[in-house]
Amino acid sequence: MQRSLFVRQPSVLIFIGLLAAFTIAITVLSEGFGLGLVSTSFIKILGKTLCLCLVAIAMDLVWGYCGILSLGHFAFFGLGGYMIGMWLMYERTKDIVIASLAGAELPATAEEIREGIGTQIFGVVGGAEIPVVWYFADSLWAQLALVVLVPGLLALVFGWLAFRSRVTGVYLSILTQAMTLALSLYLFQNDSGLRGNNGLSGLQNIPGLTHLPQAVVSVWFFLASAFALGVGYLVAAWVVSGKFGSVVRAIRDDETRIRFMGYPVEAYKLVVFTLTAVIAAIAGALYYPQAGIINPAEIAPIASIYLAVWVAIGGRGRLYGAVIGAATVSLLSSWFTGGQAPSIPLGFYTIDWVDWWQVLLGLGFVLVTLFVPKGIGGLFDRLVRKDAS
Amino acid sequence: MSALLEVTSISVSFDGFKAINDLSFEIGGQELRAIIGPNGAGKTTFMDIVTGKTRPDAGRVRFGEPQLDLLRLSESQIARAGVGRKFQRPTVFEAQSVRDNLMMALSNDRLPLAVLRYKPSTADTDRVSALAEEIGLSSELDRTAGQLSHGQKQWLEIGMLLAQEPKLLLVDEPAAGMTLGERQHTTDLLRRAAETRAVVVVEHDMEFVRRLDCKVTVLHEGSVLAEGTLDHVTANSEVIDVYLGR
Repeated sequence: MQRSLFVRQPSVLIFIGLLAAFTIAITVLSEGFGLGLVSTSFIKILGKTLCLCLVAIAMDLVWGYCGILSLGHFAFFGLGGYMIGMWLMYERTKDIVIASLAGAELPATAEEIREGIGTQIFGVVGGAEIPVVWYFADSLWAQLALVVLVPGLLALVFGWLAFRSRVTGVYLSILTQAMTLALSLYLFQNDSGLRGNNGLSGLQNIPGLTHLPQAVVSVWFFLASAFALGVGYLVAAWVVSGKFGSVVRAIRDDETRIRFMGYPVEAYKLVVFTLTAVIAAIAGALYYPQAGIINPAEIAPIASIYLAVWVAIGGRGRLYGAVIGAATVSLLSSWFTGGQAPSIPLGFYTIDWVDWWQVLLGLGFVLVTLFVPKGIGGLFDRLVRKDAS
Repeated sequence: MSALLEVTSISVSFDGFKAINDLSFEIGGQELRAIIGPNGAGKTTFMDIVTGKTRPDAGRVRFGEPQLDLLRLSESQIARAGVGRKFQRPTVFEAQSVRDNLMMALSNDRLPLAVLRYKPSTADTDRVSALAEEIGLSSELDRTAGQLSHGQKQWLEIGMLLAQEPKLLLVDEPAAGMTLGERQHTTDLLRRAAETRAVVVVEHDMEFVRRLDCKVTVLHEGSVLAEGTLDHVTANSEVIDVYLGR
């Protein structure tokens, strides 16, 4: 099975090989495990970028292959982050509370610890009660299950309602965007139980691993992200390679026709939508411990639009295109908006890239759409064809 | 002999316009039938109703043995029950190879999880080769469907329909835009197909209908105007008035 996949899609093997080589090289150069040539903060940027590549693959699967322009996949990404963030924040706060109560004459009761955690986490939104959505927050396994279950169920229910009513095209995009906006606005509220606009923070401190320096933890997360990207890529390649992939592309190209061939189009869309939501959520659960903080602004509709832009620039309908697009644009974005790009003084005006990056991105998007409609990944087609002839 | 498809007094109107008006129609298990009629006679709407795309305001549509009520089924369920439809424009999946197009059409389990685990069996690959042979595309199996000529696309689509193994095949204007040689091939394909199943052909082109040499149903303003051999219906004065025009 695996062999036939690699034979049918040689790009899969190439991608996995490059990813492995890159991962090993970075680990060897890292502060935590090797020569110390790559700083911890840059390792974190790379690890986060790998997670963004994974969510871009999900987006490519749902948009590039199945033709559903979802503007909601970053919401699933964010939800995955929130789910893991709850455990990280709860456990870490618990450790802090226990440590601070340890000096008292009487040993702290479970009740006192719970109160302490409540005040610590929710004092900022004017509460001390631990909301009911945090019921499982003390269990890593439960929260890991919720990383998959919450976004998965949301996608399943939303998708079922939308696809069953035969909402397609731009209307479906608007609907997914509305879902994203509603979720973001809900999370902004202080009584949503997830600390409103403060979000969850301190996520880079992994409970039980606080004795390890960030230099080491960051490499672990980098490796985990690379592994997840590799597995995600294989899963996506397997899904799109066989007959299922044929049907999914047929749905994208002519939904009516494939329906009259007897394929239940809605069921296929639902499978793809839910699967990709879960992939996005897993990517998010790996991303936010590296970012350290998650707040509702992360889920804002613009993030999902960026996701679509990455995939479009990288090239739709080719998994490596999504990876190239996400990696290129997000790395460039952090370079330009991180203040590292030199400003250009024009005398009468200074081009400050923090403000002008978005213009550059928009321009890039327009140029790619006009001149390389297949995206950066599409350029490889020409290369391969030249070799073959 | 009981009919394979029984359409009984269906009517449908769009914004007050009666596209189908008390139409009844029957076709047997192995029969080739041509439906002709002027524009707006309701030919395409009739196909839409049988395939589940449009729901009639009144009437019954029964299909197969035991009889299924097609009005209660979705498009994909109707297709799985054995109704195949060829659209006017050749609609094959142009981005995919001829082989993949045929593979998708084979009458295997069509539910997502079964398709995800699907591996083509020897029987399936043999069937694809046999179909390619029949539609004259054996040497084109690995080409992208988008590179085929117009006529070849039409055949590929017919091949895909045959792969579905439908009991009833609805074909909308198969001869449109074809060369003379291609028409001959298409006629042969359809007549052979009708030996083992029912085939309904909607066609404008009288000369093509004559080649099919089958029973003809003339539609006009949403109902049946005449039925019989081509010579019989073309001799009918009402048909001459509304369709052949004089």
